[in-house]
Amino acid sequence: MTAHGEPVDPRPLRVVRDGGYPNWEAVYRDNATWVYRTIFARVGNRADAEDLTAEVFLAALRPLRLTASVGEIRAYLRTTARTVLAAHWRETLGREITSIDDDIEQPPESEKAISTAPQRVAEVLDGLPDNYRGILELRFLQGRSIKESAAELGVSVANAKVLQHRALRLAAQVNEKDET
Amino acid sequence: MNARGLRRYVDDLLRGRRPKPFRPDDFEAAQIRTAIDLQAARLGSDAPREAFLTDLRQRLAAQANGTSQPVGKPGATRRHVIVGTSAAAAAAVAAVSIDRTVIGGGQVADGDNYSGSGELTPNTGRWMRVAASAEVPEGVMHPFDLGSVVGFVRRVDGKPEAVSGVCTHQGCRLWFDAPDDRLRCPCHSTSFSPAGQVLTHQLPIAPKPLPTLMVREQGGAIEVFAPPRPNEPA
Repeated sequence: MTAHGEPVDPRPLRVVRDGGYPNWEAVYRDNATWVYRTIFARVGNRADAEDLTAEVFLAALRPLRLTASVGEIRAYLRTTARTVLAAHWRETLGREITSIDDDIEQPPESEKAISTAPQRVAEVLDGLPDNYRGILELRFLQGRSIKESAAELGVSVANAKVLQHRALRLAAQVNEKDET
Repeated sequence: MNARGLRRYVDDLLRGRRPKPFRPDDFEAAQIRTAIDLQAARLGSDAPREAFLTDLRQRLAAQANGTSQPVGKPGATRRHVIVGTSAAAAAAVAAVSIDRTVIGGGQVADGDNYSGSGELTPNTGRWMRVAASAEVPEGVMHPFDLGSVVGFVRRVDGKPEAVSGVCTHQGCRLWFDAPDDRLRCPCHSTSFSPAGQVLTHQLPIAPKPLPTLMVREQGGAIEVFAPPRPNEPA
């Protein structure tokens, strides 16, 4: 196999040659991670992200012609993911919560196209009072339990729950305002 | 208004469970959107599981071979069934040319976690204290920094074990994600089990597992065998 110990590029691009893919496995290997991450950024949980990623590849690889260029195949995968995600929201919550943009300037496998959540979250958190920011950071970004978070903030568990509830409401308001 | 549905949805996201459907109003939808953003912004949370990638690859191979039976877990979800039918409809369209030798080749390189990086054995070193015994109860991942070596000690069946705290890909320093019980790399979403095995990564070749360190417990302290600090005589 490949020589070990050599520095590897963080983006799995090495199977690509001359603008095309040799077989479906190469398509999968090269694109599975960014497709998964793109979807994860829009559903926020592993179970749904895995199901939807599987759906994208199972649907897309069937009719896929490998004569297409790498860029075309990636655009196609992103469009498929967009459709699959839209159907997911229709089925589960009856409305579109998040979406995958169609016209993006960056290539689909770029960080910016995958997710802008970290930047958006940083902006939203910046606009919150300290204790609201604190509870959201502890609960979501650090994955701490409600008990640990309460102890960290020096409040009761009941208070921490209320705090989290209010913080998310306010964050959602700030977030929506930024959108428009 | 569906306060309970929303609360449960957010709770499921936080616990890493599949959230349950409900009918949110506008503001609840906005809160879900924000909760998803927050969830996705968590460092390294979005790296796919190795087991998932391997499993999906097998399902794709089965589909490509025309054996439509999914290789996946028993009890395919409703979603899988839907996929099955839509994919069947799509099968009428031009097909992918398949390289069977590649499929026959077995596991993808990514799947292998080749034998290991072994144990860190410095040419010269000494036993250095990294924690008091009481600081490392069962189930705790205790970080340490000796200047020359950084790592984590934990207790397994009463005995201390230690792994390096540096990612084997490009050397970024790992942090311990307690709720997910794994070490995470801030650079490329690689994650390792407390024992040092690679759990997730997004690299073309799986990085090596973390080297283990020699560790012992003596006189109420846990010690790791490590080289002297750079500014310290050997």
